[in-house]
Amino acid sequence: MTGEDIKDLILEIIEDIDDEADLASLDPAEPLREQLDLDSMDFLDIVMELRKRHQLQIPEEDYPNLATLNSCVIYLEPLLKDK
Amino acid sequence: MRLPVLIIGGGLSGLAAAVRISRFGQRVLLVEQHTRPGGLNSWFIRNKTLFETGLHAITNFAEPGNKHAPLNRLLRQLKIKRSEIEFCPQLGSKILFENCETLRFSNDFNLFETEISEKFPGSIDNFRSLLTFLQQFDAFAPAPFRSARAFLDKIIAEPLLTEMLLCPLMYYGSSNENDMDLGQFAIMFHAIFLEGMFRPRGSIKEFIDLLLRHIQENGGEIRTGCRVQNITQQKNCAVAVMENGEEIECNYILSTIGSQETESLLQRDRGIKDDTPRLSFVENIFQLPYEALPAGAQETTIIFFNHGEKFHYQRPQSSIDPRSGVICFPSGFKGIARRELVEIRTTHLAATEKWEQLAMVPEAYQQEKKRCSELSCSTAESLIGDFAHAVTFRDMFTPLTIKRYTGKIDGAIYGHPNKIKDGNIGLSNIFLAGTDQGFLGIVGSMLSGVSIVNQHILPRL
Repeated sequence: MTGEDIKDLILEIIEDIDDEADLASLDPAEPLREQLDLDSMDFLDIVMELRKRHQLQIPEEDYPNLATLNSCVIYLEPLLKDK
Repeated sequence: MRLPVLIIGGGLSGLAAAVRISRFGQRVLLVEQHTRPGGLNSWFIRNKTLFETGLHAITNFAEPGNKHAPLNRLLRQLKIKRSEIEFCPQLGSKILFENCETLRFSNDFNLFETEISEKFPGSIDNFRSLLTFLQQFDAFAPAPFRSARAFLDKIIAEPLLTEMLLCPLMYYGSSNENDMDLGQFAIMFHAIFLEGMFRPRGSIKEFIDLLLRHIQENGGEIRTGCRVQNITQQKNCAVAVMENGEEIECNYILSTIGSQETESLLQRDRGIKDDTPRLSFVENIFQLPYEALPAGAQETTIIFFNHGEKFHYQRPQSSIDPRSGVICFPSGFKGIARRELVEIRTTHLAATEKWEQLAMVPEAYQQEKKRCSELSCSTAESLIGDFAHAVTFRDMFTPLTIKRYTGKIDGAIYGHPNKIKDGNIGLSNIFLAGTDQGFLGIVGSMLSGVSIVNQHILPRL
């Protein structure tokens, strides 16, 4: 998966969690939670969906790496490079 | 093969937990001792009619757009679309202190505020300070028990208003005698007064079926009529032994059956002295033709009532305490399917030990049931008008009925007075959700299941 693919994957997951989410005006460098008004319960869904779709086991201490769209790409790229 | 998660108890918290876990493709098994799921909120058939057991109204009503409202968060977490449930908001309810005062409220909070400003002009500023406090107060932050009554006494000048505010909130969610935790008060105040009440258009059976369908579609499994005999924690797993001898080995167990009830499955005595009284209730159902509802009852959803100025929320000396209670009109919701026969339901505080003594002589138990049903009926008539002559069917649940079907100690629907808010019972792979975790009501109990799963189980599966 390329960086763009990963961004699309995350956006797709977010849309699945909240179909009213305003994805067009998302700043990739800013925290997703604040921009999308997600709470910690919703945030866990991103982790669980990555797990369900790509069998990725993300340990709890790594959750902060998923804070922004850009940091998601940096963190997930090596994990998803063969997928 | 080892199971990732076993859920004990098929009430609404267990069902919600099962939907939550299974939606991410994780294997989950839910076991329920009764032959029918739903726990306190279930149903039965008499005279070819489906009667609900627990549901009066669901609190925490929310319109679709409000993302942070508990109801919408819950549906999002369960991946249930709002369109899968038909929401019928309440028509209007009231708090009626006989010979004292009446406060009407609805899903429009302005009505309640106006009522208070007109009937308690000397306390409206106090009431607004309470609202300001509640807006910034984090009811979910872990904290020891703080008395809501003591808090209200300090900020509200008129004691009658304090009693009237506490009456519905205690009836719908306090496991403590004559008081409630301030956090619980704040949660219930939001749930009932600020958010409001609704019910699904269909019966609780259809609501439970919806949850079951989601669990099954997600690949989860449910077994009813399946009782757990004991559970043990082993090195890296938990084992449940079923009544039929079957052993289920799993990574995690989520118990929703109550803290003490879970302790007895664990067969451990943690030396906790347990003599705090548990509160229990009786519930009456009076079925009658819609046309026979007394004037005004066709426009009413719920009446929380009390005789006199002082509200006593405690275990009564006699089998029931008719001085206060709840009268519910399940037909009193906007858009509810109109039926020929409707119900009036009444609830009062009860004394489980009195019913237990009575049950030793079956005739005496039946006689007392009949007496209490008539007493409750005449109490309700004195408040809303006559209807007894039109009743076509009546039934009554005592605390023993609830105990028999749900296994709750003393038939106490709100469980143990002390709650374990983080679901942690001192074990690394067995957790508690549901009534004794502390979120009460239908939305509350379902959020309890979801949040304990999120906190302790999902991230580690």
